[in-house]
Amino acid sequence: MASSAPPPALTLPPSQFARLQPHAYLLAHLSPPASSNQPSLRANGRQPAQFRPTSANTGSLTHTNGSAVVRVGDTTAVCGVRAELLPTSDIASWSVSHASSGAHKRATTTKNDADADADESHIQDLNLLVPNLSLSTGCAPGFVPGAPPSALAQSLSHQILGLLHSTRLVRAEDLRVWYQVPSFGGDGDMDVDAEEDEGRKKKNDGKEIKAFWVLYIDIMIISLAGNAFDAAWAAVLAALRDTRLPRAWWDADNEMVVCSEAVAEATRLSLRGLPIASSFCVFEADAAAGWRAVIVPDAEEEKKIEEDQRRGMQRRWILADPDGYEEGLSQERVCLVVDREMGKTVIVKMEKNGGWAVDGRELKQLVDTAAERWESLKLILEQC
Amino acid sequence: MVAPSATLSVLNRADGSASYQCPSTGSNILGSVNAPVELPGRRDALKPEDATIEVFVKPGTAPAGVGERYVEGILKTLLGRVILGREKGYPRRGVVITLAIIGGESVGRGDPYLILLPALLHTALLALLSASVPLSMTFSATVLAVDESGQILREPSAEDAATAQSVHVLAFSSKGHLLLNESQGSFDFDTWDKVRQRASAICHGTQLVSADGDVAMAEDVDGRPLEGTLRETVEDQVYRDYNWKINAA
Repeated sequence: MASSAPPPALTLPPSQFARLQPHAYLLAHLSPPASSNQPSLRANGRQPAQFRPTSANTGSLTHTNGSAVVRVGDTTAVCGVRAELLPTSDIASWSVSHASSGAHKRATTTKNDADADADESHIQDLNLLVPNLSLSTGCAPGFVPGAPPSALAQSLSHQILGLLHSTRLVRAEDLRVWYQVPSFGGDGDMDVDAEEDEGRKKKNDGKEIKAFWVLYIDIMIISLAGNAFDAAWAAVLAALRDTRLPRAWWDADNEMVVCSEAVAEATRLSLRGLPIASSFCVFEADAAAGWRAVIVPDAEEEKKIEEDQRRGMQRRWILADPDGYEEGLSQERVCLVVDREMGKTVIVKMEKNGGWAVDGRELKQLVDTAAERWESLKLILEQC
Repeated sequence: MVAPSATLSVLNRADGSASYQCPSTGSNILGSVNAPVELPGRRDALKPEDATIEVFVKPGTAPAGVGERYVEGILKTLLGRVILGREKGYPRRGVVITLAIIGGESVGRGDPYLILLPALLHTALLALLSASVPLSMTFSATVLAVDESGQILREPSAEDAATAQSVHVLAFSSKGHLLLNESQGSFDFDTWDKVRQRASAICHGTQLVSADGDVAMAEDVDGRPLEGTLRETVEDQVYRDYNWKINAA
């Protein structure tokens, strides 16, 4: 049994090493040995705080009212906005609850936009925004095409709807179809019913809402390589910026809402602000940090360790815009949605879950990173 | 501020259970935990060296929908980090947590679950403790709303939250880490920092920054820290369970 030939050298190409030992592979990239003189980079060649190249394209789908394709690295989201009319006569409780109040509020709030809170309730009460996100497109190996929506797809849809409501991005006023009730000169021959009706309308400036536009916002992730939320939200934003609603009016003779065919008469939505999402994940050098029964250092000790190790070994990295490979290796996620108004950063949503590495100090830095991301993505969205 | 009340091991057939009432938000949650259990037919989806955590949230009046999926995801991520799923007997098995919302406001479409989230988290924690699932740490959570004048409201009602400028849910581990943060509405970082301090005081009764007069008063307003309330609930239960032994000694 004497083997004369020397055993083959045990070397692996990087791609195999990446599959066999994903954690060690990413760690080796982030903390290269000091002797190698290599900078600390992620396995995909990015700096820890670097986002993937992003491109956006609007108006790609011709049969929608507004559409966009946003590509963030290898994650691609297609979003289409379809507008449908919801006549107020089809809303069960309309005549009781809203008919008078809507017009009243309008009269008081059109001048003062900041005061429009109550006015916006139509969007939420009548569900005028209906986003839906689909991952069953064969976007990644883990998602079966044609399968029912996964828990991830459902929670992403919910997050997008929640964000649309909480940022009040779409103005309810853009979605209303008004009708100016003509005021007839002589009202001698009116019966009592009509007179009462007329009286109510007079009170409301003679204007009433005849219909609403409902926006169905459908998002398809056609390629998923991590960080679906950022791409999906950017696609929603770009598609809503692109959306044009045809001019619609109440035809009193036919008693229905009709739309104009002329493209020139269609109006764009005027959106409130430009909230932009940026996500991060935390990569821990110690793969077992989360589950080992060893006592987890408490927050105060943690800070001390952090200070000590500032100069020496880094234990954890906060990676911006994680790709699929990095998402699989980290548990802790941070999602920030920020907007900037007159040079000030306003946080619209801040989520952090799944670990204890990110606290106040780290979040403060991330808010600054997100503000930088806002600037760059704003340029991209404005150019498309 | 009326402290929340909880009872452990209220269900006979489940491995562990807890019922939790929070008077200020009006929520009433019943939770059960079964662990470790064999999950049927999921061999390929199970992680070979870790426990699979399943969370189900059942709303009081409606079937579970998209919003529940979302809050289940939040709970699963947080509990996945706290449960020691690699202890003996747990890998390739499941930890099934069911939370039924028995009382309180129902959550509408697209509404965030933020107001109910602390109650759900506390119920899950107490049920896990009642089922003796190994945990790396315990935690406590609270929800705060910031109104237009910048005033911080503790555990707001649904109407307060609807009119608030921003709503924040924070969870702190028993060791003082920030485990979870869910903030919605428009706010700046300084506001959040204040909210974080207040939340930390509510959960632990300690201040992160040097305490001056104002801060000490805020602590008095908040009454006993939540961490202590939860701990006491468990201590009481343990005392009742080992009554026979303690009295015999």
